[in-house]
Amino acid sequence: MLLTANNWSRMLINSLIGILVILVVLVILVLLSELIQNIMIQSSKRKMIKEGKNEAEIVELSADDVAAISMALHLYLDDLHDQESNVITIKRIERRYSPWNSKIYGLNNLYR
Amino acid sequence: MKKFNIKTGLLFLSMALILPAILQAQTPANDLSVLNGLQYFWIKTGFANFQFNNLIMIAVGIVCIYLSIAKKWEPRFLLPIGFGIIVGNIPFTPGFQIGINEPGSVLNMLYNGVSSAWYPSLLFLGIGAMTDFSALISNPKLMLLGAAAQLGIFVTFIGAYALGFTPAESGSVGMIGGINGPAAIFLTAKLAPHLMGAVVISVYSYMALVRVIQRPILKFLTTKNERVIHMKAPRQVSRIEKIIFPVLGFLLTSLIAPAALPLLGMLFLGNLLKESGVTEKLADTARSALINTVIVLMGFTIGASIEADRFLTLNSVKIFILGALSIVIATATGILFAKLMNLFLKDGNKINPLIGSAGVAAIPLSAKVSQEMGLKYDKNNYLLKHAMGPTVAGIIGSAVAAGLLLGMLS
Repeated sequence: MLLTANNWSRMLINSLIGILVILVVLVILVLLSELIQNIMIQSSKRKMIKEGKNEAEIVELSADDVAAISMALHLYLDDLHDQESNVITIKRIERRYSPWNSKIYGLNNLYR
Repeated sequence: MKKFNIKTGLLFLSMALILPAILQAQTPANDLSVLNGLQYFWIKTGFANFQFNNLIMIAVGIVCIYLSIAKKWEPRFLLPIGFGIIVGNIPFTPGFQIGINEPGSVLNMLYNGVSSAWYPSLLFLGIGAMTDFSALISNPKLMLLGAAAQLGIFVTFIGAYALGFTPAESGSVGMIGGINGPAAIFLTAKLAPHLMGAVVISVYSYMALVRVIQRPILKFLTTKNERVIHMKAPRQVSRIEKIIFPVLGFLLTSLIAPAALPLLGMLFLGNLLKESGVTEKLADTARSALINTVIVLMGFTIGASIEADRFLTLNSVKIFILGALSIVIATATGILFAKLMNLFLKDGNKINPLIGSAGVAAIPLSAKVSQEMGLKYDKNNYLLKHAMGPTVAGIIGSAVAAGLLLGMLS
C-alpha cells in the first residue's frame, strides 16, 4: 500500500467522520432517552395526582434504603424455601408386572 | 518397572526411526506389495506430512489451552480456539473433504458461520438477552462515555495504516480497540479474513487482561478526590421504558449505520425478548443454550482456520502491539471524557471518572475493574451499576463503529 498524502487525508477524514457519527448517534440516543424519561415521570406524577395523592408524598428512597429493603426481601424469600415439614417418607410404588426377565419365557424351559 | 519402561521406549523409538526408512526404500511393486501398501499408508499419515510450522502452531494451541485452564483467561473462548488450532494444524492429504478450506467438509460447513458472519450476529442476540439497559436509561449521559472509548478503534485504525496494513486490514485491526469480540469477528470476516486468527486471539487475550491494563491507567489519570466521588443512585426504570429503548435504539443506530444491521438487529431483538416479559423462554435460550453453542462452534472453527503461514508473520506481532495500544487509548479517552463532563456537571451529579474506563465493551470485566477500584478507595462506593451504563453503550458504539468501517472500507 502506497502511503500517499491523498490516502492519508482520506484515512484521517474517515476516522474523524467515524468517531463523530458514533458520538452524534449516542448524543441523539441520550436526548431521546431523557425525553422519554421526562414523559414517563410526568405521566406517573399525573397518575398519582389523579389517584388523589399529593406530589409531596412521593419520596425518593436513598440507595442504602433500597439495598436494605432488597436484602430483607431476599432473606425473607430465601427463608421461605427452607421451612419444610420435617416428615420424611418413602413412598412405596407398587411394581407393575413386566415379563422382560420372566423365567417362564426363557429358552432353557424347553430342556426341562 | 523402570527398566521395562526404558526398554519399551527404546523399542518404540527404534521402530519410529527404522520403519519410515524401510517404507521409503525403493522396492519393486510386484515383489513387495505389503511394503508398498504400508508406504502408501505412511504417506497419508500426519507424521509423513508434518512440518516445523505445524509443531509451532500446535504449541500455540497448547499455550491457549494452558492459559484458559490455568490462568482462566477467557476460557469460554480460548479453550475451543486452542483446541481448534491443534485440530487445524494436523497435516493431512487433501482431497477427502477433511480440511476447513475444502468445500463440503464438516469443518468447512461449520466455518461458514464465521466466514458469513452469522455466528457474531447470534452472539449479539445472546448478549442482548443478557444485557440490562436500565443503568443507561436511568442516566443517559453515561452513553457518552461509551462513545468516547470508541476513539481507540479509530486511532488504532490510523496506526495500523501507518504500519503498512491496507485500509481494509486497518479497519479490522482497529476493531480490537472496542474489545468487542463478536463485532471484531464480524468486521474481520468481511474485510480481512486472512487476519482472523491474530485479531481474534488478540481481542480475547486482551479481554482477559483488561484488569491488568486498565488499573494502572485508572490510577494514573485520576486523583484521590475523584476516585471517591459518590454517584447519585440510579432511578427505577419502568417496564415501558425498557421496552421502548431497544426499539428506539435499533431504529436510530441502524438507520445511521445500516452496515451493522445484523449486529444491531440481533442485539436489540435479544434485549426486547428479555424486557418484553412475554418471551422469557426465548430470551433464556438466547442467553444460555444458543450463545454457548455458538461460542463452542465459533471458537473451534476459528482456531481450526488459523494456519501457520498466515499466523506466524510479522503482521501478527504488529496486530498484538496495536491491540494493546488501542485498549490503552480507549481506556484513557473514556476516563478523560468523564473528567471533561464533570467540568459541566453540578455537584451531586458528578461522574466518578473510574467508570470512564468501562466504555470499552468488555462486558462485564471493565465494569468490574471500576467497581474494584472504587471500593479500594472507599468501601461504601459501589460503582458497578453505574459502570454498566458505559459498558453497554460501548457495545452499541462498537457495533455502530463496525458498521461505519464496513460501509467506508468495503
